[in-house]
Amino acid sequence: MKKYKYILLTILILGTTACRKLDIPPKNIIQDPDVFSTSAGIQAYMARLYSELPIEDFRYSPQRGLNFFWIISPTPATTGEALSRDQTSSMQENFGGWSWDIWGGSYTVIHDCDYFIQTLPSYASNFTTAQVNAWLGEAYFVRGMTYFGLVKRFGGVPIVNKTLNYVVGTSTDELKIPRSSEQAVWDQVASDFDFAIANLPPVNADEADGSRANKYVAAAFESRAMLYAGSIAKYNTTTLFDANHNELCGIPASLANGYFQKSYNAAVMLDGVYSLYLSAWSATDKNAQYQNFVNLFSDASSKESVFVREYQYPNSVHGYDAYNVPRQLIGPNGYSSEVNPTLNFVEMFDGIPKNADGTIQNLNSSGQYNLYTNTMDLFANAEPRLRATVILPGDVFKTQNIEIRRGIYTGSASGGINPLLPAGSRSQYPTANLVTSSTASQTPYALPGGALMNPAGLSGIFTGDQTCAISGFSIRKWLNPNLPTSQVLENNETQTWIEMRYAEVLLNRAEAAYELYTAGQAGTTNYQQDAFDDINQIRSRAGATLLSNAGGMTIDSIRIERRKELAFENKTYWDLKRWRTFAKEQNGTIYRILMPFYSSQAGKYFFDARTDERNDVYTYDPRWYYEQIPQGAISKSTNLVQNPGY
Amino acid sequence: MKRLFYYTALCLVVVAGSSCSKIDNYPAPSDTINGSTIDEVTGATVQTEVGGGGTRVELLETSYSSNPVPIYFQSMQDGTFNNTKVFGATYKVSVQGPFVPLIQTDSIGNVLTDSSKTIVLKNTATLNFKVQPFLRVEWVGKPVFNADSTVTVQVKITRGTNNPNYQQPITDVNLYVCNTKYDANNNYDPRYSTLTSYSGTSGNSVLGQTITITTVGGALPAQDVFFRVGARINAGLDEYNYSTPVGLTYP
Repeated sequence: MKKYKYILLTILILGTTACRKLDIPPKNIIQDPDVFSTSAGIQAYMARLYSELPIEDFRYSPQRGLNFFWIISPTPATTGEALSRDQTSSMQENFGGWSWDIWGGSYTVIHDCDYFIQTLPSYASNFTTAQVNAWLGEAYFVRGMTYFGLVKRFGGVPIVNKTLNYVVGTSTDELKIPRSSEQAVWDQVASDFDFAIANLPPVNADEADGSRANKYVAAAFESRAMLYAGSIAKYNTTTLFDANHNELCGIPASLANGYFQKSYNAAVMLDGVYSLYLSAWSATDKNAQYQNFVNLFSDASSKESVFVREYQYPNSVHGYDAYNVPRQLIGPNGYSSEVNPTLNFVEMFDGIPKNADGTIQNLNSSGQYNLYTNTMDLFANAEPRLRATVILPGDVFKTQNIEIRRGIYTGSASGGINPLLPAGSRSQYPTANLVTSSTASQTPYALPGGALMNPAGLSGIFTGDQTCAISGFSIRKWLNPNLPTSQVLENNETQTWIEMRYAEVLLNRAEAAYELYTAGQAGTTNYQQDAFDDINQIRSRAGATLLSNAGGMTIDSIRIERRKELAFENKTYWDLKRWRTFAKEQNGTIYRILMPFYSSQAGKYFFDARTDERNDVYTYDPRWYYEQIPQGAISKSTNLVQNPGY
Repeated sequence: MKRLFYYTALCLVVVAGSSCSKIDNYPAPSDTINGSTIDEVTGATVQTEVGGGGTRVELLETSYSSNPVPIYFQSMQDGTFNNTKVFGATYKVSVQGPFVPLIQTDSIGNVLTDSSKTIVLKNTATLNFKVQPFLRVEWVGKPVFNADSTVTVQVKITRGTNNPNYQQPITDVNLYVCNTKYDANNNYDPRYSTLTSYSGTSGNSVLGQTITITTVGGALPAQDVFFRVGARINAGLDEYNYSTPVGLTYP
């Protein structure tokens, strides 16, 4: 019996002494002190914020959203810059498809920024003031970028600048924050960037390679954002008010100049700090100008790269080359030629023979085809920037001649060759006198001299397989010329994405200046002359003909320059949106292509310019200027008012 | 072991059979809202296109919430609508499309006029909205087959409203060719359809005139085709006003 008493006593003693402290923070969950006490913890937090920055990079397409690996409906094939096998019409962004949660995702990033901004000051004693200010500046920068990503899509959205703490069991009404006016959100973007500019150092102390923000990065994005806001104020015609007269879509036109002024001022801040890339450039050598423009996208030491996103195998990768190399350099995945620049795009450039209406001159004065010994002869004087952006038929890439040919014309050439189809016809090419190939496995055709020639080029065009240069051109920009074909694979590539380069800052500055000039704003600056100088800096580097005088410039000269310089960088989509010209350009539009043919009788090439053989029609619906707010977001927060027309 | 199995199976059968005894017995929506959008001058229904780019009906169920999430359904191409699966309730109903909006606001969002209709839906409600279309597109004669198997049509486009806010210049006049009668800006044969855009005020020159449009792209294929002319101004969501679709038998 005594034994049991002892046992009981032991149990009681154990019961009172053990587990004295049960309520301790779980050891397996990272706590605030773990993150906010060391610079390594801060770096980890920043890595997450930056990885979620909503930028349209190598892993973006309107079809599949941000940060998705599979880019076979590429952005340029929605803007008229290019045609693609897999993207055959205008489109709005496909939120909700492919698990793209633009709404919830953006507010998660905003929450993460708010949390950082609220929490870091309590741990400030661990760091220097300069560090704390810089990190706060970065959090404001990321938040500004995220609001920018929302407002350019939806117009006014809810502004949430503190973390919301929901107590279970209480009303959720406080969480249902209504949309602010569009103007308020643009002003929020501006104020976040202004805070970042004021608090960030000129060079980021943690990463100086442009992958993290500094003062000038924030200024560059402010110039982009404010140009967007000014354009909305000036050109938007869709308006939407809520019951309290907040203008959820649209900004009063009277505010346009204020935004343009902000854009201009922000762009000027980078003057003398960054510069256009000219390392291999020569004023007299077109080939050097071409090589310089190519190198610009891969030289890590470029002073033109303002803000970049870096990739690293195997943690963070993309497959740009795998999707976009010309067909004859196809990688093991079997993709290629997803981006084929349109003739409409190519015709924007200088140095090509053109008709009075700006279209390419492929016919002689009697209406017959001009004949060329090589396909590149037509482009002998083409602007170097064009060659660096687009692979022209017959140009060299990875030491190969990129062979693009629609077919062999076997008809008589003695009296010249008449157009295969009447002008403007959208019909198929006639089959008479034409040898073509439906696939890449070709049957060579015996030329009159006995030599054999494949009907189509190695990179197309094949009539039954659209994995080829369907427009007559292939994309050059961003492609890595040193990547072995065996390595041209999805999820294997690590070229750096340059999200903001100084050329854009100059173009922002020129456009803002010109808008101010046309609005009659005269300050101490001659805005017209400023815009003219900026554009000519860009044109000089590109090897284009310089504009001769400021008075001859129009807003279209600036816009076209922008579209040429920033082509295939996923910027044109947003420019066409903010100029509100998307629906005018894509209005029952069929884009144009340039088909090279070889005449077996003449032994020479000729080019046929026509509309897309697939007859793919692009019609942009004006309601897409403001995207549809995801229904799931409205179901959760019924105070959200849907945009017009959805 | 076998016995355990049978008991388990029996339990599952009992659970499966007894659960879900409460079926969701709220009756399915069975009330009807139908009607049309009518040009208040001519009395004809306002032609539109099927799908998201045409006239639609907006229902605000005010008996449930004072700030309801709107419910929409599309009008048919001929400007009539019919929805037979609506819950009985109080609705504020309006239509949106290529005509002067029923709810007009000033530049800061104040409601100036509101011609939407409030109904207590029980069984069937028929609503005819009288509207002012932006443009009227009317045939002049019938489409004519030419010797080269192209087709020429004649139409007259006039303004359907005197409202000063909706006098923007015409931006597009398009002849759509299609092999079904659902012939509109979202569904046409691009090889033969003739699209004409106007910039600035140049489009106003066609107003009130008999204009002649011929198909492009050479001979039409040997099949029956439908023709329709659409025109629009830069107002609202830039939707088109259409003529009626006209079919033509290949000669």
